[in-house]
Amino acid sequence: MDKNMKMQSINLNAWFGLKQALKDVNIAIKPNAVTAIIGPSGCGKSTFIRILNRMHELIPNAKLTGQVLLDGEDIYAKDVDPVMIRRRVGMVFQKPNPFPTMSIYDNVAAGLKLTGAKKGRNLDEIVKASLERATLWDEVKDDLKKPGTSISGGQQQRLCIARAIALQPEVILMDEPCSALDPIATAKIEQLVVELKQDYTVVIVTHNMQQASRVSDFTAFMYLGSLIEFGPTRDIFESPKNPLTEKYITGEFG
Amino acid sequence: MGRIIDRGLEEQTVLIVKMGELTYETLAISIHGYLEGKSVQEKVRELSGILVSMGEKVEDEAFQLIARFQPVATDLRTIKSYMKVGNDFVRYGRYALDICLINDQLSGLKECEDCTRDYINEMSEKVLSMVRTSIDALKKQDILLAKTISSTEREVDKMYFDYLNKLINAEQANSKCVLSTTLMTRYLERIADHAVYVCESIVYIVTGEKVALG
Amino acid sequence: MLNSYRFRRYKNKLFFALCLACVIIAIVPLVSILVETVVRGASQINLHFLTANVLQGGIGPSIQGTLIIIGLTSAIGIPIGIFSGIYLAEYGNNKYASNIRVINNVLTQVPSIIVGMTAFGIIILYVTRTYSPFAGAVALSFMLIPIVARTTEESLKLVPNSVREASLALGVHKWRTTLNVVLPASKSGLVTGTLLGVARIAGETAPLLFTILGSSFFFQGFNAPMDALPLRIFLNSRMNTAEEQAAAWGAALILILIVLALNIIVRVASRGRNFRWTING
Repeated sequence: MDKNMKMQSINLNAWFGLKQALKDVNIAIKPNAVTAIIGPSGCGKSTFIRILNRMHELIPNAKLTGQVLLDGEDIYAKDVDPVMIRRRVGMVFQKPNPFPTMSIYDNVAAGLKLTGAKKGRNLDEIVKASLERATLWDEVKDDLKKPGTSISGGQQQRLCIARAIALQPEVILMDEPCSALDPIATAKIEQLVVELKQDYTVVIVTHNMQQASRVSDFTAFMYLGSLIEFGPTRDIFESPKNPLTEKYITGEFG
Repeated sequence: MGRIIDRGLEEQTVLIVKMGELTYETLAISIHGYLEGKSVQEKVRELSGILVSMGEKVEDEAFQLIARFQPVATDLRTIKSYMKVGNDFVRYGRYALDICLINDQLSGLKECEDCTRDYINEMSEKVLSMVRTSIDALKKQDILLAKTISSTEREVDKMYFDYLNKLINAEQANSKCVLSTTLMTRYLERIADHAVYVCESIVYIVTGEKVALG
Repeated sequence: MLNSYRFRRYKNKLFFALCLACVIIAIVPLVSILVETVVRGASQINLHFLTANVLQGGIGPSIQGTLIIIGLTSAIGIPIGIFSGIYLAEYGNNKYASNIRVINNVLTQVPSIIVGMTAFGIIILYVTRTYSPFAGAVALSFMLIPIVARTTEESLKLVPNSVREASLALGVHKWRTTLNVVLPASKSGLVTGTLLGVARIAGETAPLLFTILGSSFFFQGFNAPMDALPLRIFLNSRMNTAEEQAAAWGAALILILIVLALNIIVRVASRGRNFRWTING
């Protein structure tokens, strides 16, 4: 266990019923850095990231063994409330999912209102700050009352990011956040990810290797549920140590 | 079915290998011309010109591959190294031309003593063999062969510095010979250095390690 | 000749004509009901008819009774139905809930007369010991709850899981997610389903026969019989005088108008309320 790491998985194994999805995964997530998880479909990267914020257990028949540490403490320990973990570890999903019945303003404030964290705080300021941080403020500042679903896909995704950071999480997890977006929206989100690492720790799952090489500081390559290689992005993409990694990133399979 | 980038990489490899053979030929012609006192400047100038344009082509193609295909790992190291190696081969061509020039302007070895001639002969052969090694190792991507160049490089360096020492301590010498052989050994030493760079690039392509073979 | 273009066109037209004929056959009874009711009942409608009690030749108590019984039934049945639907949709991923779902579906089809008899046997005989509007409301809610539970479950299931995930990932408790995020998103489906359920039970007669019996007078308390439109129609139609028969038609017209009104409200309320689940742009 490394005290300098923000999050760490130790001998992590996970199952869906009888099918094993993760095998002895040991990954350390450095604080204030972007860690990318890459690998072909079915390698377990989405399963892994959902374990980091205890969303994995919401799936029926989901099981896991091993430890997952957040600031050195196991988030799967007996008395830990998953809801509290999820407030410290936020998530942005593949398809933008703003709350359909709420306005843009209410979407950003939703986390605060629904978790009782809004007491004594100036919601207007927090909403503005979150939207600014997500580089969406200028585009929606005159339309805050409009429904959250009335803006474009790329804007909706930035809205979801604003919603997540309004709760001031420590870690932001992103599960293929740009898959459903066009190249320009993707570029904006990538820029945002690189800026976010100043204040947050970011873990991003992506099937786009070029995206991983553009935005991340560290890259983990997973295959069939196992961690194959992990290291600084520069090293992984210039001289990977494992021949399987080399094969994947040069496009010989997957 | 290969990857999209494979075709571009193959074309680069073919080009570099061709360049290698051509540059060896150019150097051989020029060095032998110097050793035998023959003027080969026209031919060498022509070949050197071809090498320069081939070098430019390697560089242009490399940037095309990078811009279009975002290569990584071995592909990236290969493209990067081919650019360097292409540059080294162009340098060989320039040195070949420079040797021709001193051959013509300073009468090569004509005014030198026999022992000097033999010395330069020996050094030239060593250097030519280094160039040959570097090109063969590149063709076969053979890092063991590439690493053998270290010993020959040391020998060439020694011969170069020994010769300079000899000149410093010599009483009197024919100035044309001195100038000619000083420049020649200098060029030979530089050619040897570039041969080492080529071999270092080969190791980098295959293993990703940046080694010093000189 | 069987494959020629002309014959195929002819087959197409034949099929179309067959479908059209069936539609007309289906509509004719509906239209004739409406026409018959309007023709026979419209002449009865006047202020006296709508406000006087039965002995005076009016159906005031019937209208009042129907409104009271709808109100009571809704008050009991809608909350129970909705929360049952929430259980089935949000917490019902197990075998226990599957069985409940099956039973619920069966209950939506149970013959209304059996519901009436059951309500009589349980409530009237043992609890109230008299005919009672309360018993009537309970009987009708036996029928309303399964309907509302099912439409609630279906509406909630239409809400994409991504919305729930988004809320849970923020660290919102599950119950708040259901209440503040999922329920509002399914509002139009809920309202539609509930109103249709209410429209359905507004016209049920058999349960009321057993529980509120019918009366000629306005509401007389929770321990006395009460009148309602379906009951009035039934009772009057068995009478011999022409006035009572005509009153039955008038009551029928009013009942149809109430049911029609409920359906129109549903239509208007659910217009333009379809949230876009897909991403635009």
